[in-house]
Amino acid sequence: MTHLFTQAYQQAPWRLQLQRIGGFLAALVAVVLIAGVYLTISAQTATAGLEIQSLERQRETLDRLIADRRSALAELTSAGLMSQRAADLGFVRPDMSTVIYMVIPGYSGRPSAMIAPPPSSTIFSASVIKQSYRQSLWEWFFQGVLGNSSTSSGGY
Amino acid sequence: MLKYFTRLRLIGIFFALVGALILFQMVRIQTNVNAQKMSASIEEQYGTIVRTIYPERGNIYDRWGHLLAGNRDVYEVGIALNEVENPQTLATALSTILEISYGDVYEKASLPYIEGKQSYAVVADFVSAEKVNELETLFDQYETDRAKVRKGQTVQSLRGLHWTGHLQRAYPENSLASNILGFYNYKDREAATGYYGVEEKYNDLLAGNPVKITIPRDPALVVNVPQVPPGSSLVLTIDREIQAMVERIIDEAVDKNGAASGTAIVMDPNNGEILAMAVTPRMNPNEYWDYGNVFPDSTPFNRALSETYEPGSVFKVLTMAGALDSGTVTPDTPFLDTGSIVVGGQYIYNWDRGAWGPQDMIGCMQHSLNVCLSWVATQMGPTKFYSYLQAFGIGRRTNIDLSGEQIWPLTLPGDNDWYEVNLATNSFGQGVAATPIQMAMAISSVANNQGIMYAPHILKAYIQDGRQYDTPPVAVGSPISAASAKTLTDMLAVSLESESSIALVDGYRLAGKTGTAEIPSPGGYLTDLTNASFVGWGPVDDPKFLVYVWLEKPTSDRWGSTVAAPVFSNIVKELVALLNLPPDDTRHQLNGQ
Repeated sequence: MTHLFTQAYQQAPWRLQLQRIGGFLAALVAVVLIAGVYLTISAQTATAGLEIQSLERQRETLDRLIADRRSALAELTSAGLMSQRAADLGFVRPDMSTVIYMVIPGYSGRPSAMIAPPPSSTIFSASVIKQSYRQSLWEWFFQGVLGNSSTSSGGY
Repeated sequence: MLKYFTRLRLIGIFFALVGALILFQMVRIQTNVNAQKMSASIEEQYGTIVRTIYPERGNIYDRWGHLLAGNRDVYEVGIALNEVENPQTLATALSTILEISYGDVYEKASLPYIEGKQSYAVVADFVSAEKVNELETLFDQYETDRAKVRKGQTVQSLRGLHWTGHLQRAYPENSLASNILGFYNYKDREAATGYYGVEEKYNDLLAGNPVKITIPRDPALVVNVPQVPPGSSLVLTIDREIQAMVERIIDEAVDKNGAASGTAIVMDPNNGEILAMAVTPRMNPNEYWDYGNVFPDSTPFNRALSETYEPGSVFKVLTMAGALDSGTVTPDTPFLDTGSIVVGGQYIYNWDRGAWGPQDMIGCMQHSLNVCLSWVATQMGPTKFYSYLQAFGIGRRTNIDLSGEQIWPLTLPGDNDWYEVNLATNSFGQGVAATPIQMAMAISSVANNQGIMYAPHILKAYIQDGRQYDTPPVAVGSPISAASAKTLTDMLAVSLESESSIALVDGYRLAGKTGTAEIPSPGGYLTDLTNASFVGWGPVDDPKFLVYVWLEKPTSDRWGSTVAAPVFSNIVKELVALLNLPPDDTRHQLNGQ
């Protein structure tokens, strides 16, 4: 009786095979999908990494260029060169006994050099590269999905 | 059919076994200790690059923001040996453009590539960006021409040529203020350091902190390369225009008077800020390797603080300041000058060996009477006299923030080499030695009409992490009262006016004192050569500057009044314009408005 009952409700063998094949294919598709996502993200990370390396080199070059231009400008406006240019243009050094002091209303003289702003209590601190570029998919998964919500909301 | 299924199963088992074996091997490699060690070693050796990032050396500015020391972009040019195609082309191009030996380049370009041992050869360093641009253009041209080369023809190629940029210290003003700046031996690259002046004194601040970082070669493993902050930049108290003017005048004075050297300091007596400090000789710090030629033997780099000398009569300012402050004398105290005085059994004479008759203290200073000042010192007594000298900082460092300060110890009563006559000779600046900066600092307490002595300093502010921090003036003592300072300033202004000194400048009331000092030598004092000095300040009622001048061994004339006083006057004439100081009358009118 039991045997008949089981037989009556048992799946047909071809359906079982289909189920197994379907399950296998579903798993395969899932694996392929995950691998695809992983490869895409890895490729994007590598591209971004190369771009960052290139930008860092560019930044170093620009820093050097800025320093170079600053010095070049200082050379062109150096005291010796300016005096020479003034002389070439026909200017002569004045006889100091003939110099007249003129009062210019509202002029309070040159201010001292302020190359940078004065110290303040505000401290700026920021990482140049976002966290999302530095963590693996694995880390992101654990931190973003399994971790608590506060740690995953970083505004990446 | 059964056979068919058996075969299928066998194939399935075979593939499953292969898969299992692969899986097993993967697990084994992952967990094997040796494999892990090997992996770590490979990772360490090839997976990362260790780089030391040297921060940009801080800039140095004058008080108005003119760049005195900065950095230029230069390149190291080298050859990657495994990439070389044509050593002749490399040698020809590099020797022509960089003006270096063809043979040397050819030899380097022909070196065999040995992996890990011989892969790269440096051909030239500190090559300018313009030269590198020329090389780059030529490189590109040869690469373009490659396509046109027929089989069998020699390929013109600069392949293997590489250039890497780095910074080189640069001094845009060349020798201007070089005695203050010092120099940086940039050619030593990683071992480079500052020498003399500000470059040495503030080397740690300027250099910043090098950072060592490990960068993975795998682009997927992005690391945040820290932005290494540049070394701190410095803003000096120096005014470039005043410095240039003082250097010009002191150079002319040295030439005109045939002096061995010249020194001039311009200082703000109200806070100790050095506005200019000019000496001879000076070098171009861009060519620091000339140091030995510019400073032969033991020539000091900056005489203003590295060479002590017997200052002569300018020292009388300190003697009189002490005497007035201690109440030993007043400006009206009478003195009968008989032409000599005996102190400690030794005769002291005036500079002209003459007797000047009845004098008051103003007359004593005006005529610079050694006999009178010796008498004043004896009236003060050694204890009081030397305690004032010590209060003025004589025999001690001023601690000016420049490298290389020297001092001459002050001989005091009780010392083996102190004799009673020293009291007299010291009173007019003989038998005692000081640097010009010591003298300027001591006399600044008189010049500022406050009696307060401020530490002479060169650093006005420094810039660190993008912020500018000002350095406040430091008062190092108050050797005399404000009243004594004012009294003495007035006495010295009257004495200048009474003798119609060459030092006077129209429109400005100035105070000052000449100095002519004999020079000690192993065989006694030299008879034909002197040190000529002048110290002056003004405007008397609202002092803004103190100028100290020293000409060493002038040959045109021996007297400070004829050699050093005109230098002071020439400096002040231009200084008042550069400082925007109105003539006294105009200032009084403006203040009265």
